[in-house]
Amino acid sequence: MMLTQLIFGIAGGLLFAMGLRSALIRESLLARILAVNVSGAGIFLAFVAIAYRGLEETPDPVPHALVLTGIVVAVSATALALALRRRLEEADDE
Amino acid sequence: MNNLLTLPVMIPLGFSLLALLWPRRASSIGILGLLATLLASAWLAWRVAGSGPMLLALGGWEPGLGIALHADALSSTLLLMSSVVALAAGTYSTGYFRERSDRARFWPLWLLLMTALHALFLSGDLFNLYVTLELIGLSAVALAALGGKRKAVEAALRYLILGLLGSLLFLAGVALIYAGYGTLDLMQLRNMLAPEPVAWIALTLMISGLLLKSALFPLHFWLPPAHANAPAPVSAVLSALVVKAALYLLLRFWLDIFDDVVTTFAAWLLGSLGAMAVLWGSWKALRAVRLKLLAAYSTVAQLGYLFLFFPLLAALPVGAARDTALGALILMALTHGFAKSALFLATGVIQQKAGHDRIEELGGAARALPVTVFTLALAGVALIGLPPSGTFQAKWQLFSAAIATGQWLWIPVIATGSLLAAAYVFRILGYAFASAEGVKYRIADGREELPALILAILATVLLGFGSIWVWEFVTPGALAVGEVP
Amino acid sequence: MEITLWHLLDSLLAILLLGLAWSALSGTDLKRGVVLFMAFGLLLSLIWARLRAPDLALAEAAIGAGLSGALLLLALRDREKSENKAGQPMSLLRLATVLLMLLLAASFALAYVTAVTSNTGGRLAGLAFGNLEQSGVSNPVTAVLLNFRAYDTLLELAVLLAATLGILALGSERRPFRRPGVLLGALVTWISPLLVIVAGYLLWTGAHAPGGAFQAGALLAAAIVMLRLGGMTSEQLPHQLLQGWLLAGGIAAFMLAGYLATFHDLAFLQYPAGWAGLLILLIESAAMLSIALSLGLAYLGGSPSGWDERSSRGKRS
Repeated sequence: MMLTQLIFGIAGGLLFAMGLRSALIRESLLARILAVNVSGAGIFLAFVAIAYRGLEETPDPVPHALVLTGIVVAVSATALALALRRRLEEADDE
Repeated sequence: MNNLLTLPVMIPLGFSLLALLWPRRASSIGILGLLATLLASAWLAWRVAGSGPMLLALGGWEPGLGIALHADALSSTLLLMSSVVALAAGTYSTGYFRERSDRARFWPLWLLLMTALHALFLSGDLFNLYVTLELIGLSAVALAALGGKRKAVEAALRYLILGLLGSLLFLAGVALIYAGYGTLDLMQLRNMLAPEPVAWIALTLMISGLLLKSALFPLHFWLPPAHANAPAPVSAVLSALVVKAALYLLLRFWLDIFDDVVTTFAAWLLGSLGAMAVLWGSWKALRAVRLKLLAAYSTVAQLGYLFLFFPLLAALPVGAARDTALGALILMALTHGFAKSALFLATGVIQQKAGHDRIEELGGAARALPVTVFTLALAGVALIGLPPSGTFQAKWQLFSAAIATGQWLWIPVIATGSLLAAAYVFRILGYAFASAEGVKYRIADGREELPALILAILATVLLGFGSIWVWEFVTPGALAVGEVP
Repeated sequence: MEITLWHLLDSLLAILLLGLAWSALSGTDLKRGVVLFMAFGLLLSLIWARLRAPDLALAEAAIGAGLSGALLLLALRDREKSENKAGQPMSLLRLATVLLMLLLAASFALAYVTAVTSNTGGRLAGLAFGNLEQSGVSNPVTAVLLNFRAYDTLLELAVLLAATLGILALGSERRPFRRPGVLLGALVTWISPLLVIVAGYLLWTGAHAPGGAFQAGALLAAAIVMLRLGGMTSEQLPHQLLQGWLLAGGIAAFMLAGYLATFHDLAFLQYPAGWAGLLILLIESAAMLSIALSLGLAYLGGSPSGWDERSSRGKRS
């Protein structure tokens, strides 16, 4: 159980850092939006790994609720970012 | 029951929904909502002044399981400032947005932003703070992009991406805290946090996110374009309130929740970055071509001053001197809030009447828009730090603290920053009083000019002469949120 | 600590996830990146299932991979000036950022490992399960979301609203798709009602099994997406005023329930005894509709063309 937590927690940390770097390095807005999502997913993974208590015990529900909130916040931000980006394209064409 | 604590958050939220459902009446609903919010904030501040910090366990659940709201002197003061600035800028907006469709888009988002700010000031839960940060970010971005101009949208998008990264850094810290300490409640954490790797790394992550959001040099680069290109009332609130929210959290963490964890080295680092912000921001402000850009860079500089307090607070022993310094920090933050919003609103008036906000072409403004230019002057006094403004007293305290702790390094920084501020303020006034014909006389609405004037008066006069109230109210109870009925 | 097959599986999943993320983020072909990102989302959903988070698995598949993916695919049509740049040469700066990234990951990992090994307790799980009975539902995640930490969910709905309002303010909707061919038309006709039914089911069952307002709302939004792909135009959406009510409904329901409690001399959002289950169901129903419409409007891309506010932003102000 604990090894599972470590595996996914560390993977989460790597995703978080990877996404952060990509968001800063890449020039394409779409790529940056993807990167922010990946970064967020990394933290969510860490949260759920913390919540995991093995196959016998039910996991801690609080991080699950937090991540669910986080997923909705992420899609809201993504939607707004994409709308801004689209607006930027239209403004360019004029 | 302390359900009063929910009002500064729920009132603007409720009115936001109303403005969404009745777009024809959006302005009236908005102003009504802001008035009601101001009343609630004032009531709350009055209660806190009378009986000390207040706590509300939402849902009745014990802290840890549920989310708690709390208010102490620091948060209720900021709440009050926020309500006043929002009302002033909102009043200005009723004249700024002419089209009904613009108003219908503006008001729900404006009220959501107020909800978010107030939720942040009152929150007692780490993850809840993350959600409020995101709500602030999204509503601020949506407001900044209103109008659809290319520069505004571009700046707003950059602000959004960086804001999200900042929030994610914060959230990473939250995850680590939960892993290590098993709770998200701020009051519980205050007792549990210890100087160990988990706390250090988590705090560093969270502070980094907050520094990005409070635009400390060198993470400030997103701010000038975003604030300069947003609609005037939005710029006012972005500079005066949104950055302050992140700063408030920083203070709360640094001095209260994580006070056992922070190190002197980190305090010095923040102070050094603050010094660079003061010098860099003031210089860029002096060189700015447009008024709004000047105001935005001035914000970067003024926030730098606030960070200079950190190493000083670290060096002062707990006691009267430290309390005075803390009071000065809060006074400076408040004064800047009022002064900067006044500046942006006044700039908005000029931009609408003259059609531009280029500083060198402001000639004739003093004759054409006397009230507004007077407002600019007053706000300028507060920004430079001339007596009797609150900033003057705060900078005085900064000097004293620097001398008392032997941190001489900051003194030339403060002096240079103030001189540069004087230079850029007098530059504006110089052009405004010139007799060239940059600004023709136009009739300005009372509701366009008065809010800015009132804010400027608050910054320069009220907070100047009334600063003793701030010290008495804020400092002793500022960070005591422990025991509560 | 013994290494079981599960750990092998976990390592495999983690490596695959990291690989997908890397290829999604580093390619120059954005279309490929978006598709890989959707695959990333689906794999993540699988991992949530592995980690015994079925509510999250549902939500991730529907929202994280599904709706986000749909939005991203649409966005691919918006050309960007700097997009088709070839990959930049490996420079010292880029190497430095890789090192910084590794440093960040290492610090996080260090703190994480320290934290998880030193604090092996249940954290808030004990409190959550201990109070589950009084919460009015038996799904612990729903209990946390709609009762213990209901305030967070309320603010989260506000976040969704803010994003929606921003999107509506930015411009009018995208052009509708043209009339579908036979296959697509048939698919849409079959799937949309199914989605609605399953959404209703998920809403109802969320009280005692994985599911709830968010997953249900996402499925309804998926139905809107399907209908849109099938050629639906915005005239066929509900009337503008009704849409406003739907968008506001979730938050309004929360506020009403929250202040209802205060009349009984309770704290805000403290549901009166015995009422919790019903109130939660009502709030969740309203929230489901708000979420569905918000995400649906996000897919539409802007204010529907029927709206009386000046919606065609062809002219710049």
